Amino acid sequence: MPESVFGVVGLFDSADALMAAIPEVRARGFRNLHAYTPYPVHGMDEALDLPKSKLGVLVFLIGSIACVAAFTFEWWTSTRAYPLMTGGKPYNGWPGWVLVMVESTILFSTLTTGIGMLFAFNKLPYFGNPMLGSEAIASVTRDRFALMAASDRGALDVAGATEALRAVGAAALEVVYEPDHARPGVGWWVRTATTIVAASAVAGFGTWWAIRAYPTIKPMVNMEVQPRLDAQRPDAFFANGRGMQRPPDGTVPRASVPILDTVPDDAGKSLMNPLPVTAAVLARGRAQFNLHCAVCHDRLGTGHPWLDSTYQAFPVDLQTGPIRAAADGYLYWVISQGIRTMPGYAADISPDDRWAVVRYIRALQRSQDAPARDLK
Amino acid sequence: MTEATLPAALRVEPLVQGDVTLAGLDDHIRGWTERKPPRAWYVAITITSLTALMGFAAIGYMLYEGIGIIGNSVPVVWGFLIINFVFWVGIGHAGTLISVILYLFRQRWRNAISRIAEATTVFAFVCAMMFPAIHVGRPWFPYWLVPYPNQRGMWVDFRSPLIWDVFAVLTYFTVSLLFWYLGLVPDFATLRATAKSRTRRAVYRLLSWGWVGNARQWVHYEKGYLLLAGMTTVLALSVHSIVSMDFAVSQLPGWHMTIFPPYFVVGAAFSGFAGVVLVFAFVRTVMQLENYVTMRHMDLLNRMVLFLACVMTYAYLMEGFTAWYSADPFVKYIFANYVFGDQWWAGTLTIFLNCVLPQLLWFPKFRRSVPVMVTVSAGVTVGMWMERYTIVILSLHRGYLPSSWGMYLPTRYDFMILFGSIGLFLTLLLLFLRKLPVIAAWEVKPDIVFYQKQSAEAGHA
Repeated sequence: MPESVFGVVGLFDSADALMAAIPEVRARGFRNLHAYTPYPVHGMDEALDLPKSKLGVLVFLIGSIACVAAFTFEWWTSTRAYPLMTGGKPYNGWPGWVLVMVESTILFSTLTTGIGMLFAFNKLPYFGNPMLGSEAIASVTRDRFALMAASDRGALDVAGATEALRAVGAAALEVVYEPDHARPGVGWWVRTATTIVAASAVAGFGTWWAIRAYPTIKPMVNMEVQPRLDAQRPDAFFANGRGMQRPPDGTVPRASVPILDTVPDDAGKSLMNPLPVTAAVLARGRAQFNLHCAVCHDRLGTGHPWLDSTYQAFPVDLQTGPIRAAADGYLYWVISQGIRTMPGYAADISPDDRWAVVRYIRALQRSQDAPARDLK
Repeated sequence: MTEATLPAALRVEPLVQGDVTLAGLDDHIRGWTERKPPRAWYVAITITSLTALMGFAAIGYMLYEGIGIIGNSVPVVWGFLIINFVFWVGIGHAGTLISVILYLFRQRWRNAISRIAEATTVFAFVCAMMFPAIHVGRPWFPYWLVPYPNQRGMWVDFRSPLIWDVFAVLTYFTVSLLFWYLGLVPDFATLRATAKSRTRRAVYRLLSWGWVGNARQWVHYEKGYLLLAGMTTVLALSVHSIVSMDFAVSQLPGWHMTIFPPYFVVGAAFSGFAGVVLVFAFVRTVMQLENYVTMRHMDLLNRMVLFLACVMTYAYLMEGFTAWYSADPFVKYIFANYVFGDQWWAGTLTIFLNCVLPQLLWFPKFRRSVPVMVTVSAGVTVGMWMERYTIVILSLHRGYLPSSWGMYLPTRYDFMILFGSIGLFLTLLLLFLRKLPVIAAWEVKPDIVFYQKQSAEAGHA
């Protein structure tokens, strides 16, 4: 098997001996020297003429980018994407962003340092390193110091290198060969494929199980499930099994006056507006009218014709003759009970407010048909 | 004049002692990863893992039943969980301070203890990060803490100290883990070559990425280590400052103080060093590391504890002074409440354990006595926990509005979660001591070489 030589390696007992040997081996014309030590030996970089590490430049670059990116991101979210007023401070209150910028800078700088050092500058992982297959590797990661005269573009005077290393006192001389990079065999492919399939199966079944199992767990349900009676729900608390109980017979809601008339015309004859015509009553009526009535009848009571096509509702124009002629009791009955598509507002507007609304409707009618003396 | 010719009193005690060699150190470290551990280890890990399980059971019950099972309630809405978070973040500061700041100051004695100290950092942060996640009202949404594009179109508020905290803690954990792992790479390479079993060799081979100790690799490695040390220093000083701002930026009497950031950093370092002393007091004898972690190391660590105790005392005094000088009746009342209030024992215990007890360490004899250092360090660990209890609970329960004053009483679940986190920390530590190299061999080896040279010189003299 033709093997190419990676280098000749010799071991020393101390870092000092190794350092002393470097210039001598170099003097014999071996330029491509590598030192392997169990710990960083200071002065080794000068002895071997190693260039200074450029790691700092990369880290500074990435760190600066991270700093600017963090600032930009904070600026964008705080002033553009989601401006949120807190404590009356300005949206672009940059002093509050500084700490996140610092942390982001450090995070990305340190990740660059670690990953860059291992994977970019030291070109790891390198499991095919010929040194890993050598006899010397066990010693150089332990308590010995190795010097290697490495082959320079495949050319190395093996005998000369061995002789040079022996002359400077290196022990356990060894020729390290480039490993034979054979293609992976069938067995390797089978193993790899089996591993991938098995891992996918485990992940798939795990996910399937998790999705099935997870929704059945309801954490912290005490907001959702409370010991209380719900309207329209069964409940074992009462004998009749209902959550909602009927009030005792003869109960009337507070401030409620039952309307006994069954048609509005009867109400127009039997009911009288109890409220006086004062500015306070009209203001009260206007508030309720604008709140509940104006949405269909418009603020002047003329009605929104466009509701016809949209909702098939025909809000009556309160300014027309029949309505002007109708009694207060009639209007009160309609507001309370509703008519045609209009719902009753008894639940939403109190009886006094309804009467106030009637007064306000009268005021609206007069405002749209004012005699000349009103304008004086 | 060489060291050997100096009078004994002037001689610096060596960092290693006894019959130590480079190979001997490697074999010692590897021995613990391969040997069946002593019976005490099994007993210990059974106890700690059961304690951790108890804690997880309590957390599980809390997640199922709701946050009401623990003692938090208005006005004390931050209870044990936040105390524990601050406490564990504090414990986690020793690793960085020892590994990083002492490295920048070229204190070689840190070499032998850095690995275990870094491990305590990583494990303390595992414990610490658990607490904010389970403390949020709806613990199934902890990812809302992180700014990510979402359908709600909402972003986090970058002016809130709570979001600074998320960034600081996550960054600190990532960086500590990275730092710890990078330190391990050359040691994994050593184990790769000497480990007995094939599986183990394969695992170490993967973990060391094919590291061979080439001088070209070491150039980048040392550069990277220095860069990491420099940047992590900034981080170590900023993380607990940011944690303190969770308190200091609020308006509560007793929290709203400018002294908080430095005061928290010192407190963190203090509890961290005490934690490391506590770990080493046991580990160095049980794992027979006396030759590498000598009494001189323990002495120096105890000096750090003493120094920080003095700074801590100063911080307490300054806090009291600020309260008095503010002339604000609420702030003055809060500080009186710490030591004379309903829970007077919290403030008093804090001062006794953190300020008074460590004064024992002024005596060289006590700095080298294991029972004394264990007592003091355990005292400081408890004392620093009590300090956080004082800050969190005793400030919250007496706010600006006397009508909202209340009382806090922890429930049994609070204690189960607290002890569970200690169990989790110790379990992780025991697993680490069992399986990974406990000493940064590549850092200690130059010290051994130096010691050997010195001994040889002394022999010739």
